[in-house]
Amino acid sequence: MERHFEKEFEELKTAINKMASIVDEQVENSFKDMADSTARLYKTVKHRDREVDAYDNLIMAKCENLLALYQPVASDLRFILTAIKIDSQLERCGDIAVNIVQRIKRTDNFRDIISETDLPEMAKIARTMVKDAITAFINRDCELANTIWVNDDIVDELNKKIFNQLVEKIKANPDLAEPCAHLIVLARQIERLADHATNISEDVIFLLENEIVSHKKKLEDFHLPE
Amino acid sequence: MEIIEQVKTESASKNVSMNMEKVKISVQNLSAYFGKTQVLKDITLDIPEKKVIAIIGPSGCGKSTFLRSINRMHEVARGTITGKIIIDGEDVMKIDPVFLRRKIGMVFQKPNPFPTMSVFNNVVAGLKLNGFRNRKALKEIVEKTLKQAALWDEVKDMLNKSGANLSGGQQQRLCIARTIAINPEVILMDEPASALDPISTAKIEELIFELKKDYTIIIVTHNMQQAARVSDYTAFFYMGEIIEYADTKKMFTAPSKKQTEDYITGRFG
Repeated sequence: MERHFEKEFEELKTAINKMASIVDEQVENSFKDMADSTARLYKTVKHRDREVDAYDNLIMAKCENLLALYQPVASDLRFILTAIKIDSQLERCGDIAVNIVQRIKRTDNFRDIISETDLPEMAKIARTMVKDAITAFINRDCELANTIWVNDDIVDELNKKIFNQLVEKIKANPDLAEPCAHLIVLARQIERLADHATNISEDVIFLLENEIVSHKKKLEDFHLPE
Repeated sequence: MEIIEQVKTESASKNVSMNMEKVKISVQNLSAYFGKTQVLKDITLDIPEKKVIAIIGPSGCGKSTFLRSINRMHEVARGTITGKIIIDGEDVMKIDPVFLRRKIGMVFQKPNPFPTMSVFNNVVAGLKLNGFRNRKALKEIVEKTLKQAALWDEVKDMLNKSGANLSGGQQQRLCIARTIAINPEVILMDEPASALDPISTAKIEELIFELKKDYTIIIVTHNMQQAARVSDYTAFFYMGEIIEYADTKKMFTAPSKKQTEDYITGRFG
């Protein structure tokens, strides 16, 4: 029993690490596509998303199997619960990477607008957050995981700022309504990416410290009714 | 030595958190021997009243000896102990073993109803042995205890049939009924469900939940999931020593000792 469990457990670890590395590359490529008009990475990112989705299904099946057959406890159980949660966050990050390259494709002739807003700055911060969250998970680095949430507030603020910048642009030039609308959605996607990175970092803290830190501040004075 | 010191410190801190609960049994520096072989080494722990305490650990770690020391069955097997086991403030070694075993019932791994006795007589065997003969009262006790043991509905129409005719799961619940019929305060269970199928096991586990309203239960089990499901506190024994004793939820989510983690995750033992 033990050897089977170890084998399957190691396979799960390998699968989620592999998925995390692919998603990291996907996010990297999507931002590269946004920053560099010659990169042309739409097809690459779109094509590779199938791999992310396949890992998503594989990891879910492996987790279900491990839970059903071995009833793991303690750190093993925490790893599987974390794998289920991080798998889902990674899959969404993968979708966002695809969404980013799609928006970039649709606004290809309006790249100037991007540089006139804080989108590059927002992308830079979100990119670092995703990279750090994935690194914290793969290297089991709680210290790094603990630094990620700080940037989430900055990204949220930038999202609001970019929204206003783009609305002003539409008001000034209604012909730019369509590309600006795409870029508003793009900013929102990047903001979600930062949220997922934060969620992954919280899952890493749960994995390593057995502490649930999600919604901590929000739930400070809240108790569910009996 | 270092481990023992750590355990002592932890036991002491655990006792602090148990201050809110009434201690039913206090085990103090208990060591147990078979001849010169030491099977329990300096065990110290408090067992709170009306809670379920699971004892886990690999074969030969002293779980059953610990259980049998509490109701002085260890000495029946020519074993000896040092240290103290205090129940309700009284040293068990100073209590008459017969009286002690009335106060501390025991359920064994293999269901052992008296094969020549009916279901009815199995339940009241202990009472009759103690001279209790009032037929009407006995009937009431049989119904009450069989209901408590979640067996009444299944056997109410066959009370005069042999206990040996029941299924394994029913026999074990009959043994639990027999144990609680004499109104004990503590129930010791030594692998009570290990010989049973999953449905019977689930019934025994449900029963343990019900019984802890009235009794203090100490259960020895090899089934880690069972320990996690039914107990409030869990003690992990290894090679005669207590390695960790903690709230069951903590024990199965974040044990503080690596040995415990390795054992419950199946990496040794």
